[in-house]
Amino acid sequence: MAPDLTLVTTAVALPFVAAALTPLLYRILGERTGYAGAAVAAASFGLLATGINSYGTVGVPWVPALDVGVQFTVDGWGLLFALLASGIGVLVFVYSAEYMHGEEGLARYYAALLAFMGSILGVALASDLVLVFLFWELTSLCSFVLIGHHTEDGESRRSARMAMVVTVGGGLCLLGGLLMLAVAARGPLGGVTFDLTAMIANDEAMRAALRESGLFVPALGLIVAAAAAKSAQVPLHFWLPNAMVAPTPVSAFLHSATMVKVGVYFLGRVRPLLMSPEWVSLVATLGLLTMAVGALLAVAATDTKELLAYSTASHLGLMVAGFGFDIVYGGEAGAFHLLNHALFKAPLFLVAGIVVHEAGTRNLDNLGGLWRELPVTAAVTVVAALSMAGVPPFNGFYSKELLFEAAYEVAHEAGGVAWLYPVVATLASVLTVVYSLKFLALFFGERRAPVADVHRPPIALVVPPAVLALAAAVVSVAPQLAVDAIVQGAVDATATGEARLEVGLPTHLSPPVAMSAVALLGGFVAYPLRGRLAAGIERGVDAPVPVRPSGWYDWTVSTAEVTGARFGSVIHNGLLRTYMGWVAAAGSLLALAGFAVAGGPLETGGIGVPLSVAVVLGVATLAGVAVATASSHVAGVLTLSILGFMFAIFFILASAPDLALTQLVVETLILLIFLLVLQRLPSFYSEVRPLAIARDAGVSLLVGAMAFVSVLLTIPAPDADPTSVATYYTEQAVPGGGGTNVVNVILVDFRAFDTLGELLVVAIAAIAILVLVTMRTRGEASGAEDAAESVPDGGDSP
Amino acid sequence: MRTTARVTVPIVLVVAISLFLQGHNLPGGGFIGGVLTTAAFVLIYVAHDLDYLESGVLGREVEPGTSIFENRTVTAYRRVFLAGLVVVLGSGVAGIVVGDPFLTQGYVHLEGIPIYHEVELASALVFDLGVYLVVVGSLLTIVSVVSAE
Repeated sequence: MAPDLTLVTTAVALPFVAAALTPLLYRILGERTGYAGAAVAAASFGLLATGINSYGTVGVPWVPALDVGVQFTVDGWGLLFALLASGIGVLVFVYSAEYMHGEEGLARYYAALLAFMGSILGVALASDLVLVFLFWELTSLCSFVLIGHHTEDGESRRSARMAMVVTVGGGLCLLGGLLMLAVAARGPLGGVTFDLTAMIANDEAMRAALRESGLFVPALGLIVAAAAAKSAQVPLHFWLPNAMVAPTPVSAFLHSATMVKVGVYFLGRVRPLLMSPEWVSLVATLGLLTMAVGALLAVAATDTKELLAYSTASHLGLMVAGFGFDIVYGGEAGAFHLLNHALFKAPLFLVAGIVVHEAGTRNLDNLGGLWRELPVTAAVTVVAALSMAGVPPFNGFYSKELLFEAAYEVAHEAGGVAWLYPVVATLASVLTVVYSLKFLALFFGERRAPVADVHRPPIALVVPPAVLALAAAVVSVAPQLAVDAIVQGAVDATATGEARLEVGLPTHLSPPVAMSAVALLGGFVAYPLRGRLAAGIERGVDAPVPVRPSGWYDWTVSTAEVTGARFGSVIHNGLLRTYMGWVAAAGSLLALAGFAVAGGPLETGGIGVPLSVAVVLGVATLAGVAVATASSHVAGVLTLSILGFMFAIFFILASAPDLALTQLVVETLILLIFLLVLQRLPSFYSEVRPLAIARDAGVSLLVGAMAFVSVLLTIPAPDADPTSVATYYTEQAVPGGGGTNVVNVILVDFRAFDTLGELLVVAIAAIAILVLVTMRTRGEASGAEDAAESVPDGGDSP
Repeated sequence: MRTTARVTVPIVLVVAISLFLQGHNLPGGGFIGGVLTTAAFVLIYVAHDLDYLESGVLGREVEPGTSIFENRTVTAYRRVFLAGLVVVLGSGVAGIVVGDPFLTQGYVHLEGIPIYHEVELASALVFDLGVYLVVVGSLLTIVSVVSAE
């Protein structure tokens, strides 16, 4: 049964509509807007949940010429992600309503959060590459607003910008990769298409086509780079901990269920399409590396949210690695861990929020023994943290076990260096156990000194993590239930072949079970040594810039700023003529370079000029020389209008009366405007330096050359037939547009959309000048005049 | 200068309107008509001043010394170009209401009307009116604000 298009579209569009209405809602509901957001999320969740048994693809064409459509695919994988996002969204909104109590800018916060949730649903369900890209970028944009929620805080702004630069940079890579896929689809799918579902259905042919055109490795690299930027994979992992300056509900939402999972999600989505030896070596290595590095940094973290952030990177690495392995277990590990990670990481973030809220600190060294004051929170943390550590029988164990199986099988088959895969995975898991225990220590052991008194958290803060922990517990007890409900569908969608996911506690000792045992035992043994471990890792982190990715980021940004400042004062020096010079020179150079690259032959023969035209053009040339050598503005303006009127005559001679008329009236208007400003201009030019003259002459020559070459290349030969477009317009003007003036019919009828665009430009120009003049007066005026300006416009009629 | 303006401005305005109206079949159209109208107004400015339209033509009192942004003529110009945009978009949307794609234009011939005998009513004329209004409004806004500086 195919899903209902209206249903899916409503589920995706609902959050956006709600986001648009949020400012209004906020005015009515105030801080209770969070509950309205929760209702919206619940509505989306409900709509999607009804479609759980109807997989398929639905859509309507959007740009038929490019085969772009508003097309959604509902399958297990997309639905799993969408349900997680909307389900956790409900809880995050409820939590926000309490947590963000008394904060500034709540309307913006909720609007961004809603739009963010909508874009995640869009990414999860869209199966048109253009649509995927749009939603992908929207998530970056919304997360920018959310991470930078505390706009007055410099750290917050810096982190938001960093997240934006990294993820949008990744978005550009994605665009490149998607375009390559679309181009490669020309062969196997019979035309350029952006239909991802069709590509995956014909994955063999697509791979062959990509290889044939040599685009396979570039497309693979770009898509993986995009996913790595989004999912905080090494070496682009540094933005994730910085993004922790966001309010805690945002962190919980962004880093457990949504933003960072987008990359993993998309890797899972294209896995069947791009599976190849290159994919395995790139994606699996990347994932395991991130898993290890993230776990190392998490062990060294001293801040609760920082620990969770690095641990998120590490677990994302686990999923990426799972999808990287060309083996059934790999895909299962990735898909199942997506669910498990969301179920344990979201409550942990929310718990960290409760701790900040009630104990007032995020420093791990100052916190301990909180279970006395926060018993429910402590219970939640036990479930979630043990799940994160992968302790059986908690849900995290099952998916991690699947990864161990995949890593072991791959190593067993390939041998040699591939044995590093299980070794690194086990090592990372040892560290995972260490940092999970470290987080758990918040609640157990002795009270630490600096925290004075801890309050009981409000119920709205405790319920959301408790619900999630309960879900995690259910999956822990009955994993097969979750598998049958949705994970199997997700596994099918991401698998390269047949896959039947069976999970359960191991019954006999196999190498993967041994790996788990080593990880757990190692973790418990290493836990007392965490201080020394952390110190060692700190030393590594403080290494010089070349090995620190965030150092590279800082260097790039600061260099760009310095270079920009240096260029700015040259190009942008406040003199209109300098701007003109740069624009004209750069534009002409680009155009000439374009012609040179295109390499069309210049045909100079066969140019005949009637006498009348020659006379007119001659006068125009003389006028042009006169303008340049004019000794005063009056003379300059007058000679300039001679030039203009000569052009008008030329247009008449070339049988273009409309152009001539336009030229005439514009010329008149310019002359009149010059008359207006003439008295304000100095009457004579000052002495000009020879260097400036040379420079200006150079720019003029360049512009002239560009115009000359353009005309030569673009005009048709004198005796050539009219082009098909011209013929069409001439023939259709009367029957199609009802007018005999072809130019006008084209303007207002055939190409009315262009005219509309031009009108907008005219209107924007008017507004821009209004603003410019207003700002100028405001800059000069005192406060009193500002007050006078804010008086509403009086008098409606002229 | 003022005498010349007094004679020429009405002629220019009439020519502008006729250019605008005949645009569909003969040289002319909204843009040209708009620019020409603007030129007529600018001529008035050059000959008189910014407030002349209000005080001299419409015979109203003008408060001296108000900032250019509250000047009623300028406000009116801003309204004109806004109205123009609305007309343009409206004429485009109207097509959608009837069921055609955005900005589709149609036309009808009306026959048997006195004096003109046959008049062609093209919906493109509405679009062109929008063009005319936008051009007049924006150019006059620009000219009057800049000239007031």
